[in-house]
Amino acid sequence: MTRRELLGLTAALLARSQPPAAPVVIARAESYTAGLEPVLSTVFDQLGGLERLVRGKTVTIKLNLTGSPALRFQGRPLGVTHYTHPNIAGVVAQLMGKAGARRIRFVESCWASGGPLEEYLLDSGWNVRSLQNAAPGVEFENTNNLGKGKRYSRLKVPGRAYMYPAFDLNHSYEDTDVFVSIAKLKNHDTCGVTLSLKNLFGITPASIYGDDAGEQEPNENPTKGRAESLHFARRRVSRSAPQEISATPNPDPGYRVPRIVVDLAAARPVDLAIIDGIETVAGGEGPWVEGLRLVRPGLIIAGLNPVCTDAVATAVMGYDPRAGRGTAPFRQCDNTILLAEAAGLGTADLSKIEVRGLTIEQAKYPFS
Amino acid sequence: MVLALLLALNLADAVPARWPSADPKTLDLLAETPINVLLLERAPAGTAFSEASAVRGISVLAVVRPGADVAEAVRQAAAAKLAGVMLEGAFSASAWDAARSAGLAVVELPPRHELRLNPAAAVTGVADGVWPGIRAQAKAAATGGPWIETNTGFLRYLRANTTAAVWIGNVPPANTVIPVTSYLAAIADAAVVGARWIVALDEDFSRRLLAREAAALKDWARIGALLRFFEEHKKWRRWRPYGQLAVVQGTDGGTILSGGILDMLVTRHLPVRPVPAPKLTAEALAEARWVVNVDPEALSPEQKEVLRNFTRAGGTLLNAPPGWKLPAPQPGQITLSDKELAQIDEIWRGVNSMIGRTNMGVRLFNVAGMISSLLASPDGKQVVLQLVNYTSYPVESVTAHFLGKFTRARLLAPGEPPRELELYPVEGGTGCDIPQVSAVAALVLE
Repeated sequence: MTRRELLGLTAALLARSQPPAAPVVIARAESYTAGLEPVLSTVFDQLGGLERLVRGKTVTIKLNLTGSPALRFQGRPLGVTHYTHPNIAGVVAQLMGKAGARRIRFVESCWASGGPLEEYLLDSGWNVRSLQNAAPGVEFENTNNLGKGKRYSRLKVPGRAYMYPAFDLNHSYEDTDVFVSIAKLKNHDTCGVTLSLKNLFGITPASIYGDDAGEQEPNENPTKGRAESLHFARRRVSRSAPQEISATPNPDPGYRVPRIVVDLAAARPVDLAIIDGIETVAGGEGPWVEGLRLVRPGLIIAGLNPVCTDAVATAVMGYDPRAGRGTAPFRQCDNTILLAEAAGLGTADLSKIEVRGLTIEQAKYPFS
Repeated sequence: MVLALLLALNLADAVPARWPSADPKTLDLLAETPINVLLLERAPAGTAFSEASAVRGISVLAVVRPGADVAEAVRQAAAAKLAGVMLEGAFSASAWDAARSAGLAVVELPPRHELRLNPAAAVTGVADGVWPGIRAQAKAAATGGPWIETNTGFLRYLRANTTAAVWIGNVPPANTVIPVTSYLAAIADAAVVGARWIVALDEDFSRRLLAREAAALKDWARIGALLRFFEEHKKWRRWRPYGQLAVVQGTDGGTILSGGILDMLVTRHLPVRPVPAPKLTAEALAEARWVVNVDPEALSPEQKEVLRNFTRAGGTLLNAPPGWKLPAPQPGQITLSDKELAQIDEIWRGVNSMIGRTNMGVRLFNVAGMISSLLASPDGKQVVLQLVNYTSYPVESVTAHFLGKFTRARLLAPGEPPRELELYPVEGGTGCDIPQVSAVAALVLE
């Protein structure tokens, strides 16, 4: 059985059964320096240990590096505002290396760029050499185009998709045994919250799904984001890729983006969700959103199911993870977590999720 | 006359400041700074200030502005035993002559649109400039980076045109709280390209400094330390731009406006070498591999042949479209208008596609709120990368990938001991990680 078949089978089985529940750990972490390694080590132990998840495996870690690295909130380092902090990535790589991971590949579809991820990370203030030395077999790939692959991987949405039947993605999302989403605990202007599920929006290559994607074939040098096609349905994705199911697409981004995210999470299931809530922003996903403010929840939230993890994280942020459209934080959008639950990816029912470490009440840090 | 000549000789190393008082007691405030030329808004009544200044090795000039009786202002300056006058603003030729006839030193600081390149002048400069700093975007977007207001493009161009000391006399914006970091940026914005910003404190800061308030003294000490830093390394002013990208510009039209092609290249951290069209020779392009020719029609047939030979030897030339020329600046204009920016976009698109990820001397990472300057020593054995941070926060983890092999790197910063940094090989050259840049840092490579 190929990796792709295994992915498809796993996701299809999940879709048929009751939405699964998996434990979620909430831990206190006051800073990105002192004590971060023992905190994350304990988090992974509370989830059953990293070794059984990564030993001898290829691990792909999707970072959250949204928006241009040149755009800083109040001039502050990106990792303490809206980007995954480099020390989180470094410690996770280090612990996975110790746990026997064979290869650790950091991925992100770099904003408006087809250049190497390493350079994007350098531009974001990361010490790439240090990250490279954090564990054996550390690699980097910008998944905004073909990257180091020779062809795109077509990952199908098992069962009934909301928006797209399948996605053409960089090979990294198929050529992996373990897929990790390291997200940031923050709001999102379109989706209400940006957590481990919404982080997957960035696995779509702009070469195909971007605003300057090729009409027929991918544009391997993308220089724009994905607002026109995926957010607003103002243009089609490259014809080489599977097209949107609806012949008359709904142009409301509050309808589209949550559903696309869920389709992506179904096509490329997340094995480990880590949410960086040590220092972050509230009020939006980046400095381009008005009313953004700095917050320091001092938390790490992690789980083996992204829906459960995001449901707990949403509750920690002071919201009801089962809230419908019109209620904060989903004022102008559908609730991605509920859509994911309906797709069978995981439960959003807090009563069915075992929370380890801190309780939600102990960790609660209202974002509104 | 003798005094004026002495001052003229010293103007190359002058560190000028507009001074808010003619009280000799205020000179104590200059003790820890390298400031050695003071500009007073008017000549003082007596000679006490100039005499006390002279004891400290400080020269004093009176500022004369348009509308004033120049001859009378010069007479008053002479009576107060000042070293000379600075004519700041637009003056008639007869006014300049009147000033010079008195035998005192005369510094000309016209508005930008009246910039004159006087080969005999010890100082060349302009009275106006943008106030350096990060301009808030009217409407932010995920794709947008900060735009840095800078005079460096203009000052680089001016430095390439003259061997005189280059001064810029812009003053802090009115009715605005100016943090000390903003003053540091103003000093460094000029200094990293070998020019001088005339230190000018806002009214509130001046008042608090003269009253010797602790916070003002602390900020003033930081200003003094940065000025000292650049004086300790004044040899860099004689170093040449290091890099493989040359920009050929004419000497008329909008080339003297800020926000133009040089500033665009500088904000992308491309180590650019301005070549004024009249100075375009094969030697001027000796180390260049890419040339952007902004003003093809300004070139003589011989100079066009220089460019042809450059491309025959494998160089890449990007010419502005035929007939392309920025209009001459209007009175009061110091930056490009929106229409002119759109015009320059025609060239910028070509430059962008030509550059790609090419290393033209250095590639810098995590420098969005900074401007850089890359210079090489006359013997080519040393290279200095100067970084100016325009944000309000220290920037951590800056990475530089230099073209060429280097074996030693020292990080210098105002008020801090030199620090040896590790070098490592990267594609086509040498990499170096700079842990932190506060206001200014310089990395010296050997």
